[in-house]
Amino acid sequence: MTALLEMRGIVRTFGAVRANDGVDLTLDGGEILGLLGENGSGKSTLMKVLFGLVAPDAGSIVLRGQPLVGHRPAGAMARGVAMIHQHFMLVDAMTVVENVMLGWPEAGRILRRREMAKRVREESLRYGLGLDPDALIADLPLGRRQRVEILKAVLRDAELLILDEPTSNLAPSEVAELLSILRRLRAEGKGIVFITHKLPEVLEVCDRVVVLRLGRVAGRARVGDVTRADLATMMVGRDVTTPHAPRIAPQGAIRLSVDRLAGRSLGPLSFEIRAGEVLGVAGVDGNGQLELVETLAGLRPASEGSIRLDGHELTRLAVAERVGAGLAYMPADRGQTALVKSMSVAENLMLRDSRRSPFASGAFLSSASIAREANALMRAYDIRAPAPETSAARLSGGNQQKIVVARELDRKPAALVAHQPAWGLDPGATRFVIDQTLALREAGAAILYVSSELEEVLDISDRIAVMADGRFLGIRPRAEADLAEIGLWMSGRAA
Amino acid sequence: MTEAVPPDLRTSAPRIASLRLATGEGIALRIVVAVILSLVSSAALVALSGHNPLAAFVALAKGAAGSPHQIGVALNRATPYLLAGSGVAFCFRAGVINIGAEGQIAVGGLGAAAVALHWPHFAPWLVVPASLIGAALFGALWSGIAAAIHLGRRVHEVLVTLLLNFVGLLLVQEALAGPLGQFGAGFLQSPLMPRGAWLWKLPGLDAHIGFIFALVAAAALSVTLWRTPFGFAIRVAGRSRHAAAYAGFSISRLTWAAMLLSGALAGLAGGVEVLGIHHRLIEGFSLGFGFKAVTVALLGAVEPLAVAPAALFVGLLEAGSLSMQRQIGVPSALVVVIEGLTMLFILAATVRRA
Repeated sequence: MTALLEMRGIVRTFGAVRANDGVDLTLDGGEILGLLGENGSGKSTLMKVLFGLVAPDAGSIVLRGQPLVGHRPAGAMARGVAMIHQHFMLVDAMTVVENVMLGWPEAGRILRRREMAKRVREESLRYGLGLDPDALIADLPLGRRQRVEILKAVLRDAELLILDEPTSNLAPSEVAELLSILRRLRAEGKGIVFITHKLPEVLEVCDRVVVLRLGRVAGRARVGDVTRADLATMMVGRDVTTPHAPRIAPQGAIRLSVDRLAGRSLGPLSFEIRAGEVLGVAGVDGNGQLELVETLAGLRPASEGSIRLDGHELTRLAVAERVGAGLAYMPADRGQTALVKSMSVAENLMLRDSRRSPFASGAFLSSASIAREANALMRAYDIRAPAPETSAARLSGGNQQKIVVARELDRKPAALVAHQPAWGLDPGATRFVIDQTLALREAGAAILYVSSELEEVLDISDRIAVMADGRFLGIRPRAEADLAEIGLWMSGRAA
Repeated sequence: MTEAVPPDLRTSAPRIASLRLATGEGIALRIVVAVILSLVSSAALVALSGHNPLAAFVALAKGAAGSPHQIGVALNRATPYLLAGSGVAFCFRAGVINIGAEGQIAVGGLGAAAVALHWPHFAPWLVVPASLIGAALFGALWSGIAAAIHLGRRVHEVLVTLLLNFVGLLLVQEALAGPLGQFGAGFLQSPLMPRGAWLWKLPGLDAHIGFIFALVAAAALSVTLWRTPFGFAIRVAGRSRHAAAYAGFSISRLTWAAMLLSGALAGLAGGVEVLGIHHRLIEGFSLGFGFKAVTVALLGAVEPLAVAPAALFVGLLEAGSLSMQRQIGVPSALVVVIEGLTMLFILAATVRRA
């Protein structure tokens, strides 16, 4: 019997990054395959290759014995492959049946609405989807909207369903319902790829699991043969289990102290960071990291709790006052927040200091000082731009981030909040950002380093916290950090 | 979990403020092509209406700049466009789409007339400045109402400023039908203002001093925008709200400032028109000025100082086409079409979305 899907030796590089590096994957009908991995491990790339959103550099895809080459998503769908994205592709202002008919040739040139509604009702009953054809998408909870996507797939005779992080936006009860729907689809002979990083769900519904790490297959297993701890270790990898150079925990004075801080989707959480200490925050994106860093930086209000820096209360201060008090912040969103890309390098270097000398003197900006300062910072931080007047958009991602580093760190801050500062950078620029952060640590600053890249957090931190659902699940000194435990915490459950 | 999208990528709505002048080698050629296209299409329209295009263009050129008198007419025409247009450009730079100049100009004219008619015994050196201040305050009040509704109730600024235009025009009507109106005039207008309230003339030209005010205002706005920390904050806010918040700028304060400034300038435009041209408040004295100010702001690449040549261009075009209508008999509707076409071609050639 030929497998439903065979992917062999898939390679795909983006610039210097090998997102997929020789990945093999097979799937039979009537089987649910869990595809596990951290952010950036190559799961999504692999599935985009399969669905035709990304062309592979090498490797082959065989679908029911027939090769699938050079296809686009429309071609993949025609061959029975459906992808259910994390963000649904539905028109909110239309009904379920209208969304089903959208872009579907079988709906006909003159829409057979009643006949379609009947089919929606039948299929919905068959798979237990519980969908009303005439319900407005905007009125449906997220779990139901996802089922509309599943319905669209089965009505288009999809044999292979790819679900990209299907449970990330669902409430626990909706997750249980989704898993039972997946079991019904399996019983009807569909093959399902279930992309996730949540171990309990994998163990509950999948038959087999493939773990990706850094673009390669880090492990394969039948679900009955492995434990959660095994999977967690496979996911985060073995080669990082020994700390690089265990540092003696810093014993400096407490600089940044956060006490029962809470806000929308945040906390309450408390921590303290000493002089010369890095507290790393690991965790899957979307678990309150953005809320935490923005509340610290003053971009979001705290509903409760306090933030103190060197004993000064920051909690109610405006952004500019926090900058003045010595709090630096490197946002994850480089393109829209940390930089104004259409403005010049020089203007971006003064973005948060434009009212202060040397940039401003009296009521006016001093263009001479701005240029002098920009040239000095460009030299000191190796920002490669033709001139200070060059627009930031023309620089590489690494050089853009160097602008942010130069601006935030040259102020000699007392504390730094860094959110995904190495995101999307090549290894050289990543090293630069990490080295600058470590230099700031040596200078005695308190540093909060938030990243969904676990290895980065392990590399730089003195202590590690894992964030889930807006809280810290625990804080461990780096030397005592147990990877299996961190992996479990990241998958959403306290050990 | 899509690797291709940065974490927490937040999109912000595209804003008209990101319009900017296309720079580089192609720009001069594009302007020439735009002018040729507008000449050709205008000529075709004039020919279709049964007139000689060449004679029409000669009349247009003479009417625009053929004599000191005609130049004065063009300058007077350009003045309200420059005042209101540079304010609109400043607002756009802040990312605030204020299209309420139409109403702010009308209410500004009301302010000027109210001051000049309420204190007719003021000395001439006092009554003109006082009336202009009244005009600016009324304009700022009108844009301030828009800002309050926009920021307080989160109604989109386009909607608020647009709708307040109609209210502003009606307010002027109401004032003319009541306290400010001239009884028995048969037309909604105020009594003539005392001579002392008339705006001073420029020596040797048939133009009032308003154009000088407008130039100074545009230059001041330009310096503010490019040479002060406040202007920097305005420009950052216009490019990215997230970056502005991160930089520690208060979006609502910046919005207030931009709205009040542009409202004051639009009000001044109305005041200058009333004190300099009509010497009385007339219903509909500024009809269409505010919308043309938006066009002029875009034509001037939302750069206050560059709005000056744009406003002058439109002023010359209008003065010229009026005389074309008088001398050749080209129908007035066609003149408006030609004006619009020319602006459209120039806009298409010079403005692009950043």
